[in-house]
Amino acid sequence: MSRRVKVALIAGVSAGLAALGGCSWFSPPLSGKAAEGRALFVMHCADCHEGEHPDLHKPPPKLNGLCRSKTLPSGAPATDAQLRKTIIEGRGTMPAFDQRLSEQDVEALVSYLHTLK
Amino acid sequence: MFLRKPKLTPVAVLVLLIVTIGASQTKSPKRYNLRGEVLGKNPATNEVTVKHAAIPGFMPAMTMPFKLKTARAMEELQPGDKIAAVVVVNGDDYWLENIRITDRSGRTSAKPPLPPHLLAVGESVPDLALTNQDGKTIHLHDFAGKAVLLTFIYTRCPMPAFCPRLSSQFAKIHEDLKKTPDDYRKTHLLTVSFDPKYDTAPVLRKYGLAYLDNDPSGFAHWDFASTTPSDLRKLADAFGLEYFEEGSQISHTMNIVLIAPDGTVARYWATEWTAAELEKALREQAAKSDASTQTAAQSR
Repeated sequence: MSRRVKVALIAGVSAGLAALGGCSWFSPPLSGKAAEGRALFVMHCADCHEGEHPDLHKPPPKLNGLCRSKTLPSGAPATDAQLRKTIIEGRGTMPAFDQRLSEQDVEALVSYLHTLK
Repeated sequence: MFLRKPKLTPVAVLVLLIVTIGASQTKSPKRYNLRGEVLGKNPATNEVTVKHAAIPGFMPAMTMPFKLKTARAMEELQPGDKIAAVVVVNGDDYWLENIRITDRSGRTSAKPPLPPHLLAVGESVPDLALTNQDGKTIHLHDFAGKAVLLTFIYTRCPMPAFCPRLSSQFAKIHEDLKKTPDDYRKTHLLTVSFDPKYDTAPVLRKYGLAYLDNDPSGFAHWDFASTTPSDLRKLADAFGLEYFEEGSQISHTMNIVLIAPDGTVARYWATEWTAAELEKALREQAAKSDASTQTAAQSR
């Protein structure tokens, strides 16, 4: 299954669940880049950032209101450039998404991160 | 005429309770049909290595060792034999029963001594070269005399229940062992990447430091390494690792291998394990290190 098909499939499932109500990343109605970002978030990020993982060395931070704060959980400034850098290069035990996500994917993710309340 | 209501004496109640508990704890073994080819046999451990087809409801096609319950089966089976058998699974234990040799013709064909195969418990690990987080070449046999816990990861794994869990639990074991210097000295942790193209020495160093809380002295006890694609294939075959690129990720099995101080495979784990269990087994092997150092050195 190609990545585009997967993204479309997850976006469809997300939309369906949004209609039923559910987790924070399903609730707000989104469109365009942020909607694609949400699908990518569900596929690549939610498992760590939305789940509970007591087995992990450092529990991944929740990202609610990420862009409403002046700093990221790492203490770095909460700028788009820093978000892109963190996604691509990883930070601490967060894996790098270098060569796993395209530039457009990263931009879509950043757009979605801005919508988190 | 009066019918007396039966009375349960305290002893009868106790007997009833024991019987009930005993019955509830007895699970019958599960049985699955297997078809495959015998690649090797190890009379010392009473195991045969079988390359088998998928076993519906139990496991995908792979090459792995199976215990035999009779000496006759061990004597009869030869590498190259095609077999049909029943895999009996009873809790953590599993073995082959009702073995039928369906084709013996493979015995006579010219074959290499033993193709790459999953090492059985008790077999010696190959002395493959790896490059660690400092760009230094290390060999598996460098750890002779120590108990080694080895696992496989790729640094970009985004699945928290897979590589991040493995590295997190290794970090916990590493921290625990530090508290007992004798065990720390007699053990080593080794994390090997199956993404050597991306996981270069600097990438592995950065990854390792995140799990060592930025203390590089921890690398003396825990190496993060990669190797050439061909040696990685040999390692994967030896320790049963399966991995393949799938979309933007690498699908893979979870494999943990305990290597005894004498350089032989002591034990494997896949999905069912805890850090406490791994640590206990590692410490038990470490306790054997003094005795085996000399033997290992002499045999190499």
